[in-house]
Amino acid sequence: MKRFALFLVLFWALPAWALEVVATTSSMGMLARSVGGPEVKVTELAPPDRDAHMLQAKPSMMRALRDADLLVAVGAELEVGWLPAALKGAANPNVLPGRPGYFEAAAQVALLDVGQAADRAQGDVHPAGNPHVNLDPARMAMIAQALAARMGQLDAAHAEHYRQRAQAFAQAVAEKTPAWRAKVAGSGGLVSFHKDAIYLTHFLGLPFLGTIEPVPGVAPTAAHLENLAAKLKGAKALIAHTPYQPPAGAETLARLTGLKMAVLPIDPPSGSDAADYFALIDRWVEALAAAK
Amino acid sequence: MDRNTLRALASACALIPLTAPAADDLQALREEIAQLKKTYEARIAALEAKLKQVESPPAPAIQSSSPVTSKNAFNPQLSLILDGVYFRDNKKGASVEMFDMIDGINHSHGHQGHAHGQLERGFNLRETELAFSATVSPHFDAWAMMTVSDQGDVALEEAYFDTRSLPSGLTVRAGKFLSGIGYLNAQHPHQWDFVDQNLAYRTLLGEHGLSDTGLRLSWLPKTGSWYTQLGLELLQGKEQTFATSGLATPTSREDGAPLAATSAGALAAQKAGPRLTTLYAKLGPDLGANHALQFGGWLAHARQHQEVHDHTLEDPASPVQALEGKGRAWGLDAVWKYAAGGYGGQGDFKLVGEYLRLHKNLKIAFDEGGTQVGEKRDFVQDGLVLQGVYGFLPHWQAGLRYDATGLTKNEVRGPNGKLAEWNKSDRWTLALTKQIDHFSLFRLQFGRARLWNEGVEEKANQLYLQYQMSLGAHGAHSF
Repeated sequence: MKRFALFLVLFWALPAWALEVVATTSSMGMLARSVGGPEVKVTELAPPDRDAHMLQAKPSMMRALRDADLLVAVGAELEVGWLPAALKGAANPNVLPGRPGYFEAAAQVALLDVGQAADRAQGDVHPAGNPHVNLDPARMAMIAQALAARMGQLDAAHAEHYRQRAQAFAQAVAEKTPAWRAKVAGSGGLVSFHKDAIYLTHFLGLPFLGTIEPVPGVAPTAAHLENLAAKLKGAKALIAHTPYQPPAGAETLARLTGLKMAVLPIDPPSGSDAADYFALIDRWVEALAAAK
Repeated sequence: MDRNTLRALASACALIPLTAPAADDLQALREEIAQLKKTYEARIAALEAKLKQVESPPAPAIQSSSPVTSKNAFNPQLSLILDGVYFRDNKKGASVEMFDMIDGINHSHGHQGHAHGQLERGFNLRETELAFSATVSPHFDAWAMMTVSDQGDVALEEAYFDTRSLPSGLTVRAGKFLSGIGYLNAQHPHQWDFVDQNLAYRTLLGEHGLSDTGLRLSWLPKTGSWYTQLGLELLQGKEQTFATSGLATPTSREDGAPLAATSAGALAAQKAGPRLTTLYAKLGPDLGANHALQFGGWLAHARQHQEVHDHTLEDPASPVQALEGKGRAWGLDAVWKYAAGGYGGQGDFKLVGEYLRLHKNLKIAFDEGGTQVGEKRDFVQDGLVLQGVYGFLPHWQAGLRYDATGLTKNEVRGPNGKLAEWNKSDRWTLALTKQIDHFSLFRLQFGRARLWNEGVEEKANQLYLQYQMSLGAHGAHSF
């Protein structure tokens, strides 16, 4: 009876998962879930309906990071305004940068816009490169495979499961890619509020035509929009902004150019799986296709 | 390449010229070759795919634990904050002094520490903050912050290291640092939502709050979805409003006259540090993405506190006295932040409330009159700050603050009851902040204070127009 009680205690005390993962955004949460499957428990810090640049560190983040085995961040300074403070407050050495428990998606792939001058006259620039890799399914597939390797390093018992799931994710991306590209073929490209969709246009082979904000982190000006409108003359492009970005600039540009406008999130909903992520890419592809 | 396939191919080829082929045989052979070709091609394709797979996997996991960041180029990271104000008041500039002379238990010796370059009417450059931070090694982070006055005087505000590899949620900090008590105490001036320090902190803890040299142990226990932080600080107890020691027994008077012959008693020698201990707890439930709430409570205890009371400049008849004993303080705080998710912080708000109370349980150790040595003097004063900030437009914030000192208690008691009691001084402040971008802001602030100086009520209005510019690698702000 005593032994049975002990067994019960152990059973309740032992978690049902092998790794406790904290993901900074819902895209990273989706990857962790797709690769980790039932072997991981995933907590997401940033809700997808707001700008991941602008969050503030808060106690619940420190709480989540305190017990994490693995932190999956986008990186390239996207979370620089809050993640270092949250990590400092979490007192968990296992997930500090440089440790195996710290995983940065942007560090696994080649970045676009690398090596811009660290000149803040150019706005809130990221000299390390553009961090918004999450809208590029091909890069996400590579990140998934690197993440699988990392999970396997931390939890060798399930390494093969992680590898297989990452493989399946990459396979799914490879299968969907031709249809996505075919659908948008002939599109004139994309204008987005912030340079957060450039990896998607790159992936789809479309031109990225500019941003509604004149420089990163600075609100649109009339002069900039007029210049942009002149540049867009004749292009069959889509104007897009996320739900948390102000619509006024995009509306003005749409009025000046007569182009179609869409409000599209750059991250899938909280708690998403791969299917939700692909649905997000589908939405962008549909919108781009509809605008050609 | 498969050896059997080759052999089969070779034998197939060898067979052809030897046999006089019948049409049927020929057909069969053709089919066989086609079949072989098919399998062969499939095998090549499979091998090619395999090769591609081996070639393409992303870089090995070990090299990619370090973040992609430009800040690594600088070690240590530097940041500089410029802070300037245009200042006016309704007292021809005298309101600055009135804030220094608020009636209360710390009033007569409020000039310890470095004077904060008195504000003048018109343009002022306030202290420039210069911060250095770096990860020293896998085991330590370090931070130092200096301030430079407009006259070029340098002061070391903070210089400490933190451990980064202790297990079980433990962290140790050592050096000179802002104490973890309260919510606002650990914030530097550039993090304040208002131009100036609140009255409660200013009169009870000092212009900079509680900042001292020592050691901190903080612990994050596992408490389910609740955030819990417990802290214990062992501090030197140097030049704090309720923890000062090492003062000399008076040998002269401020008015220059010699001490009376009746002088008796002496201050005890300085005790070895740490003389000041603080304990604090912070608790926060997880309220989802939009809300953050944190409650805190703290205690501070100084085992030696000394002060000298010399009012002979204002009143030559008053005797010089020196007191010593223990200092105590405690406080409660709460913060609620709401993130609306709007552009430029629109719709966000933050509410902060803090109550603090200071006790000094002292005895007269030296008395010029000679008769009061050994008599007890118990001082108590409390204070409150309530402040809210609301993002009413993108990048625009409106702030409202009420702060008071001597809120419910502001008195000194002797062995036979109350010896003196002072009035409550309080203030209403309105601030309008425009965040130009991540790195610069402008702020317009108006404050209307009702201050008590030497039992006289003064109504002081102050107007500030402030700018702040942040240069360099500006780190993330804590909650």
